[in-house]
Amino acid sequence: MERKNILSFTIILMFGVLIAGLINLDLFHGARFRRLSDSNCIRLIAQSGARGNILDRNGNIIVDSKISYDVLILPQELSQIDRILEGVSRKSGIELNELKTAFRKNYFSSSIPVTVASNIDLKKAIQLGEYKLEEPSIIIQPRPLRHYPYGALASHVIGYVNEIDRWRLTKLEDYGYKTKDIVGFGGVEEKYDYYLRQEEGGLSVEVNHRGKFMRVLGFEPPRNGKDIQLTLDLQIQKIAEDSLSGRKGSIVLMDPQSGEVLALANYPNFNPAVFVNKRTRLIAGLFNNPDSPLINRAISSSYPPASVFKVAVASAGLELKKINLSTGFLCRGYTMVGARKFSCWDVHGGQDIISAIAHSCDIFFYKTGLLAGAQNIHDYALKLGLGRSLGFELPYETGGFVPSPLWRKMDKFRKWFDGDTANLSIGQGDCLVTPLQAANMMAVFANGGYLPSPYIIKAVDALDLSAKKKKMSRVAFRKSTFEIICRGLRAVVSDPRGTGNVLSGLGVAVAGKTGTAQVSRGATHAWFVGFFPYDKPKYVICVLLENGGPGHAATVIARQVIEAMIKQGLI
Amino acid sequence: MRNSFLRILVLALIISSLGVLSIYSSTYQKEGTPWQDIHKRQMLWVVIGLACFFIISQLNYRRLWDANYFIYGAAIFFLFLVFALGIIRLGAQRWLRFAWFNFQPSEFAKLAVIIFMARYFSRKSVDDTSLLSGKFGIFRGIILPFIFVAVPMFLIIEQPDLGSGLMLLLVFVFLLYLTNVRLKYIFTLIFILILPLPFFWHFLRDYQKQRLLVFLNPNIDPLGAGYTVIQSRIAIGSGGLFGRGWLSGTQSQLYFLPESHTDFIFATFSEQWGFLGSGLLLFMYYLIIRQGFIIAQRTQDSFGRLLAYGISLLLALQVFINIAMNMGLAPVVGLPLPLMSYGGSSILVTFIALGILVNIDRTRSVF
Repeated sequence: MERKNILSFTIILMFGVLIAGLINLDLFHGARFRRLSDSNCIRLIAQSGARGNILDRNGNIIVDSKISYDVLILPQELSQIDRILEGVSRKSGIELNELKTAFRKNYFSSSIPVTVASNIDLKKAIQLGEYKLEEPSIIIQPRPLRHYPYGALASHVIGYVNEIDRWRLTKLEDYGYKTKDIVGFGGVEEKYDYYLRQEEGGLSVEVNHRGKFMRVLGFEPPRNGKDIQLTLDLQIQKIAEDSLSGRKGSIVLMDPQSGEVLALANYPNFNPAVFVNKRTRLIAGLFNNPDSPLINRAISSSYPPASVFKVAVASAGLELKKINLSTGFLCRGYTMVGARKFSCWDVHGGQDIISAIAHSCDIFFYKTGLLAGAQNIHDYALKLGLGRSLGFELPYETGGFVPSPLWRKMDKFRKWFDGDTANLSIGQGDCLVTPLQAANMMAVFANGGYLPSPYIIKAVDALDLSAKKKKMSRVAFRKSTFEIICRGLRAVVSDPRGTGNVLSGLGVAVAGKTGTAQVSRGATHAWFVGFFPYDKPKYVICVLLENGGPGHAATVIARQVIEAMIKQGLI
Repeated sequence: MRNSFLRILVLALIISSLGVLSIYSSTYQKEGTPWQDIHKRQMLWVVIGLACFFIISQLNYRRLWDANYFIYGAAIFFLFLVFALGIIRLGAQRWLRFAWFNFQPSEFAKLAVIIFMARYFSRKSVDDTSLLSGKFGIFRGIILPFIFVAVPMFLIIEQPDLGSGLMLLLVFVFLLYLTNVRLKYIFTLIFILILPLPFFWHFLRDYQKQRLLVFLNPNIDPLGAGYTVIQSRIAIGSGGLFGRGWLSGTQSQLYFLPESHTDFIFATFSEQWGFLGSGLLLFMYYLIIRQGFIIAQRTQDSFGRLLAYGISLLLALQVFINIAMNMGLAPVVGLPLPLMSYGGSSILVTFIALGILVNIDRTRSVF
């Protein structure tokens, strides 16, 4: 071939190479380069909406959000950063070193704004806003933060918010959750996070190579989360928490006619604001506290119900016709079950069902329990909503436990003895009940035979959910059974020797049952579960004091609650 | 016959118009009066270039034979002058300040060397079409012309302008190949040139070393020397099939792509017009170069033939190296894209070269 032809061929080859290069860049990798090009010049300045508010049953705000300000810097020119940070430090009064540390920690890439200070107040934000005219790479971003006007009030119902953890992220990634998202932990914040959650909006802007703003490309308004209305009554909740005042335990008040929880108080509690303000030391203190302030004791802890359980034993005895109104047992302070001696806490003499409930006579119930049989007691306890989860709306509910001979055989491969039946009859042994379950059981007697499914969410985003709640289910006991037991419960208060006599003379007729649960270590747990007014029950109350002494202690607390409610005109 | 004149004129006009449009688009969002003016200046240069094209195409190219030593001498003179008086811009001393513009003698020197080479290897007689090289030994065939090329080449590389210097060398080698110098000699020359390359490495400037290293892997210094190539690849690639549209190229308009109106104008163009536009542009360049080759092939006169080949090759190599470097296929060297890049000297010299090309075709038939 002639040299000139070879040369022409070479030229064609050169252009072929160029075309191949174009095909490679434009067609094979075009999409990637388009993305790179966009990330060069498009910045997203996120604006978060406010998380939904949490309201009480009357629409009063329990938790809302307030605006705080963050300082962000577009780190386009790294050499300029020190100068800009110095300026920010001068204007805002934040230590330069703090800013530098925050910048180093949060720096991700030159195209993403870096948060150097968060939660600064309005005055400094305005000053920095003026400084922005000199240094356009500063961004002052308003950010709504969780605000707790009542501090620790109802903290267990509400929960707290914090940065998402790895475990939740792996579960929630598919629902659009991202790292560093703020999500709810515990309580309504966790369970209804999906509704409360705000949708992030923001500004997409075009910048030049120095990060200088060129023009706005688009704006997507942030969307606030949906408000959630609870069945809690702020007033009652406050009374309950004030009455508990520093005693470890839990108070639950609910409406027996509907199952609405009106107050749910626990102590120790916590102030959710420490998570918002990132008070690391206080947060660590919460997690390390042996009293576990983060636990919602009303639903997540279960305790031996003790004498409170006698209500279930009495129901079983009456329903199975093992006892009736005229049945009497003699209490001499002890009785023999097999070869073992079971004692009563006092010597009551002759007792019928009414006085046995009023005086909480153990002997009467040992005998009733033995007549009814352990399996029946178990079955009736379950009919009253004990022993399994109530399907309550807050997370981490425990089901409690009611033992039975069948369980003992299948799970433990051990025999059930009459002594176990006697123990069960007074609510000791393996039996465990949560305060909410105890209140729920009492509601059955308060409303005359309907087992509620307690709930605490009244409305989401102004949509009333009460119609969608599970209906109360009929507890098919004879009418006389309820009447007899209710008379007994009333006698607890009205009988001068009744265990709950402290509650008499309040101006409102209270009925209920005390309990003193023996525990393997420490002082006894104190229970009071009751309802009032007796004629037309509006409230069921359950007071539990963890290691709080005899049931009398809980009864005193109940009295404080009811007194305060009367004083505030709630009854 | 008039055909080649018209074809080249139309193609050159389209390409230089696209150049003006690209320059305008790259400065579209940039602030400050000098930016807003440069597309007007470029238009002025194109007009002047066209005038030169018309004038040169009327002047018999054989006069270049006579003026050859003068042209070569002038080129060397200007290159020396750059050392003495040249102004420094972008870290290199490449420009001479004239009344109201800056003149880049290295552009002129490229053309001068081609004319010199064509003269050197051809006979004065128009009737004798054979080349002299057949008679030349290795000294007169290779070494002597190499010395003539090496002088301006060395001066240009010392400016420093490695790209234009190597361009001279490449055109020289290609022309040697066309003059029927024995392949053995050419390979000897290439071998001799390649052998001391590791040694020359130490003579390269730091930025040149860095550019070569960056060519091998642009990511070793993404914010420094590699930045331009990365951004230019992004610009070209983001164009996709149809481009981002006129005045919508973010890479070039928002300063992400440096030199978006000069050496990297192809990226600017390609970002906005995509694969289709760029392919069309390449095709037009190819047509011009092909036209040059056709003219060379039908010219009997050996001086005219070599000159036409030289001019076409100069164009082809500059287009290839510039676009390849835009796409990251060649190291970044300071080479303009003929007819498109902003710069008076380049535009002027390219139009003059095309004028000579057209004239060769026109004059041929006279004999």
